[in-house]
Amino acid sequence: MRESEMIICRCEEVTYQELLDTAITYSCSARELKLRTRAGMGYCGGRTCRSIVDQVAKQVGSEQSKKNISLKYQAPIRPVNFVDLGGEGK
Amino acid sequence: MNNVIIIGSGPAGLTAAITCAQKGLEVSVIDEYMKPGGRLLGQLYEQPDGSWWNGINESKKLFQQAVNLGVQFYLETPVFNIEKKDSLWVVYTDKETFQTTNLLLATGAAEAPVPIPGWTLPGVMSIGAAQIMTNVHRVKPGNRGLIIGINVLSSAIAMELKLAGVDIACLALPKNNQITHESAHPKKVLDSLLHVAHMAPSTFVKLGSKLMKNNFMKELGVTFYPRNGVKMWDIPIQLKKAVIEIYGEQEVEGVTIASISSKGEVIEGSEENIAVDFVCIAGGLYPLAELAALTGCPFHYIEELGGYVPLHNEQMMTPVEGLFVAGNITGIEGAKVAAAQGKIAGLSIAKRSGKHQLDEDLKDAVQQGADTRKNAYIQFHPEVDSGRRRIQEEWEEYLVNNTVQFF
Repeated sequence: MRESEMIICRCEEVTYQELLDTAITYSCSARELKLRTRAGMGYCGGRTCRSIVDQVAKQVGSEQSKKNISLKYQAPIRPVNFVDLGGEGK
Repeated sequence: MNNVIIIGSGPAGLTAAITCAQKGLEVSVIDEYMKPGGRLLGQLYEQPDGSWWNGINESKKLFQQAVNLGVQFYLETPVFNIEKKDSLWVVYTDKETFQTTNLLLATGAAEAPVPIPGWTLPGVMSIGAAQIMTNVHRVKPGNRGLIIGINVLSSAIAMELKLAGVDIACLALPKNNQITHESAHPKKVLDSLLHVAHMAPSTFVKLGSKLMKNNFMKELGVTFYPRNGVKMWDIPIQLKKAVIEIYGEQEVEGVTIASISSKGEVIEGSEENIAVDFVCIAGGLYPLAELAALTGCPFHYIEELGGYVPLHNEQMMTPVEGLFVAGNITGIEGAKVAAAQGKIAGLSIAKRSGKHQLDEDLKDAVQQGADTRKNAYIQFHPEVDSGRRRIQEEWEEYLVNNTVQFF
């Protein structure tokens, strides 16, 4: 397997090459890189690829802020059933 | 209704729970894992005085002490959201919703991934996963493995795997790319390893570390680093070889490894295959700060602490009223430092809850934390002290423009 074909975001099947090309073409922040490629937007919530998306943006994209987390966290931060989330079930 | 809820039952969370309960507070501890102890559970190593540090026993002791003091435990209970309603914290889990006046986040650290072609094959795991399988569940991750990434954590766990009778072919670097960066650079890796050289039972490594204090010697050290690696606990450490691919049809069958220059570039034609049935990826640790991020707590990126950390002071308070932090969420350090921070946080919470005459105790605990750091056997980042100073400076700067509700 070539490095370019290596999968970075497993949920959305985003490759290393796709991330690199996007970050270079648009000089992306981590957030923009995520939104353009969907890396980190799958059902796991980016629990594996988050730091890689960050790193690619830092190396070949745009300058990142040291004062704010580059990729926002949103609840639910762990998988949860709709029943438990909605409250009617219990 | 609790006086305090602690999320995370590692060394920081358990020590904080004990401290709060000793001061008469109602304490609940929530953890997503099925056993208390957190990362402490995986630890097993020989200390400088010759005694063994057994994380499972240490966890049991702390857990039992907390239970005896009346601390309530909710294990296998992942927290998926926290929010503040009026002056109360609401903690959402898939079992129950809790409320509390004081919330301590002791969620520890997560492992950073290192992508290598073939890393999605079954049989590839993080080094921490291999440690938990072996030391906690007593299941061998495989018969013969290879570890990608040379750092404090991976060399310690390699030794633990060896103790469990698992064969480790070698520790090697990841191939240089835009993600692996410094972890693929032999000189940078050597640099960070020199700080743990005292742990190595190899005279070569110990002597070498004394000789290599300056850059010129380090350059030489990497240049003349033996092709076959240096052995630590009989496991070859390959600073001049990098894994370029993990191969296998349905699961891991082996890795392709190549020689690299002292700058990390692959030397064409030097590729060889090593048969293994599992691969561990060791990309280092970063503070697991997701819950703190949900509260709107300010963050700072501090390299020496391992990444983004929530703003906090020496008493483990954040600027968010009633929100405290302790352990690796504040920066990557060893279990003993985490426990010392847990004690500080516990005393701070007791003080906020109206317990009197704690100022001396708190001062002592802060001092004790600093001493523990200074005497730590394992330092994850050589400049951790300067990282700690940075976050304190950021806190003071924050106070200039913002009001923080102290006790």
